[in-house]
Amino acid sequence: MKRGRRTDSGDADPPQNGTSDDGMRVRDPEAGASNIDSQPDTNDEDDSAHRRDLRSRYRVLISSIQQNREDMLNNRDNKITEVLDEANTLFKEVHQAREAALDSQLLVVASDLGKEKASQLFSEGLSFDPSTFVQHTLSFMGLNWLEEEGESSDEGAATSHGSLPPNAWHRLARRAEACFRSTPAFHFMYGSFQAEPPPPKPRVERQRKAPTKEAKRIMPTQLKKMEESQQEATEKEVERILGYLQQYHAQDPTSPISYYEFVINPHSFSRTVENIFHTSFLVRDGLARMYLDDDKMPCIGPVEDGMAGDGKASVRKQCVISISLQGWRELRKDLDIQESMIQPPKSQTK
Amino acid sequence: MTQRKSSGKRTSTAVEEEEDDSRFTQPTTSQVQKGMEKLTKAQIDEKTTELVQYILMKDQKKIPVKRADIVKNVLKEYKNVFQEIMNRAQQRLEQVFGFKVVEIDAKNHVYILINKLEPAEGSEMISGNPKTGLLFVILSLVYMKGGVVPEALVWNTLKKMKVDLGERHPEFGDVKKLVTDEFVRQRYLEYTKVPHTEPVKYNFTWGQRAEVEVSKHKILQFLGELHSQDPQRWSQQYKDASSQRSSRAPQPSTSSQR
Repeated sequence: MKRGRRTDSGDADPPQNGTSDDGMRVRDPEAGASNIDSQPDTNDEDDSAHRRDLRSRYRVLISSIQQNREDMLNNRDNKITEVLDEANTLFKEVHQAREAALDSQLLVVASDLGKEKASQLFSEGLSFDPSTFVQHTLSFMGLNWLEEEGESSDEGAATSHGSLPPNAWHRLARRAEACFRSTPAFHFMYGSFQAEPPPPKPRVERQRKAPTKEAKRIMPTQLKKMEESQQEATEKEVERILGYLQQYHAQDPTSPISYYEFVINPHSFSRTVENIFHTSFLVRDGLARMYLDDDKMPCIGPVEDGMAGDGKASVRKQCVISISLQGWRELRKDLDIQESMIQPPKSQTK
Repeated sequence: MTQRKSSGKRTSTAVEEEEDDSRFTQPTTSQVQKGMEKLTKAQIDEKTTELVQYILMKDQKKIPVKRADIVKNVLKEYKNVFQEIMNRAQQRLEQVFGFKVVEIDAKNHVYILINKLEPAEGSEMISGNPKTGLLFVILSLVYMKGGVVPEALVWNTLKKMKVDLGERHPEFGDVKKLVTDEFVRQRYLEYTKVPHTEPVKYNFTWGQRAEVEVSKHKILQFLGELHSQDPQRWSQQYKDASSQRSSRAPQPSTSSQR
């Protein structure tokens, strides 16, 4: 039982709309489709042999377009039309998808060529075909054309077969560079210095931190005791001196204590300096105050509890007291200081 | 005292450039001269040297140099004498290195270096940067196809040479990036959008650097060799190449003659 066909005309030929000068043809898509749908009920073996033959003839046509591309482009003959005519004839016998695929491949190749031919119409002089250009360039670069049977490759119409040698692009570049007027890039002759910013600094800092950290770890265990004792020593001293000051003041609240008499130790200059140092803490902390008496001599006295509030509100003044060995001797003589008011500390930590 | 830009007058020769070096207005020639008088010869020489070195370093990657960058990085407080220092730098580059500074963008003041000398015979033995080969293919294609090609044509042509956009090329890596980014930044190519296309399509044209650096005549010659054709048969392109040749300054002697 035959399948009902759409077309009544019996033959499934695509209507020939005549070929134009460019060799393009128009197809009736419906006719083509119904052609493929139909199932031939001929002998299977005959059929496959026939189809193989069809396919090989298609491939011959495709390669003829590819091989003779330049000729077809540049000459004004009708070679391409002949190819297409032959393809039309072949197509009459196409029933299956596989052959039809080859037919469409042929169409792709042919129409690509046709497009190039069309572009020629608008430019004077010799036309320039990218595919031809590629072929020539690849040859220049040393392409190895491989021999291949038509059967094995069903793909890629205009892709080239074969492989390029590894320095192919170098070869091309060497010749092409002659077309450029470019400057040679500037590089330092002895390339020890890179034209790059110096490595980021954190690296150096981190390295430095590591050793000191370790060192610190060792140090505290030893020093802790000593440091504390030193700090304490200063505070102790200051407190001790405060004690002296209050004691002396208490003995005679009305008479002012001469500053120099207070701090100078007639037996030791260094102790005198220490006394001045410790006294300055007292003044800084607001525990003692200094003032000038009627003779314009500096005096020192403890700050009373009641005066503390005043002390904060009042304007603080700063001064720098210095004393030299000479000055110490003179003061000692002039003020006739025989004994120090501040006894040196008993324990010798220094 | 010093030349203040706000007080600078703009003569007809001064150029408007508000965009890139927006805070730099072109001083008049008399102002430049006054500025120069305030500098000692040593200062001028030092700045000229620095500028020469700066340009050479920038040329390593073939990225063009902008005037704004020069002013910011090299000249700094000497910016009002830019033109003078630039002239001296150009002179030095020409006389010492045989390099020519070309302003490829007069509006934005962008400069590149090209070689004053023609490539000497026999230099083909030496270098051979493969990127040049690729660039040659693209430039030839664009030139021979009338100066503008859709990007599809370029990608298809390259594919036939086993340079596929989709794959990482052993020599060139990311080809699309190389062509649309690096070559464009170097001003060898221009990659312009075609309006009203969906999805967006681009065209390739010759870039500003290619226009001054590449000899169309030599391209035609090489193409003629490849195709075993007389290049004159490409009459349209040949005419164009000849006019480029005559419009360029008379060719100086090649390095081999020196």
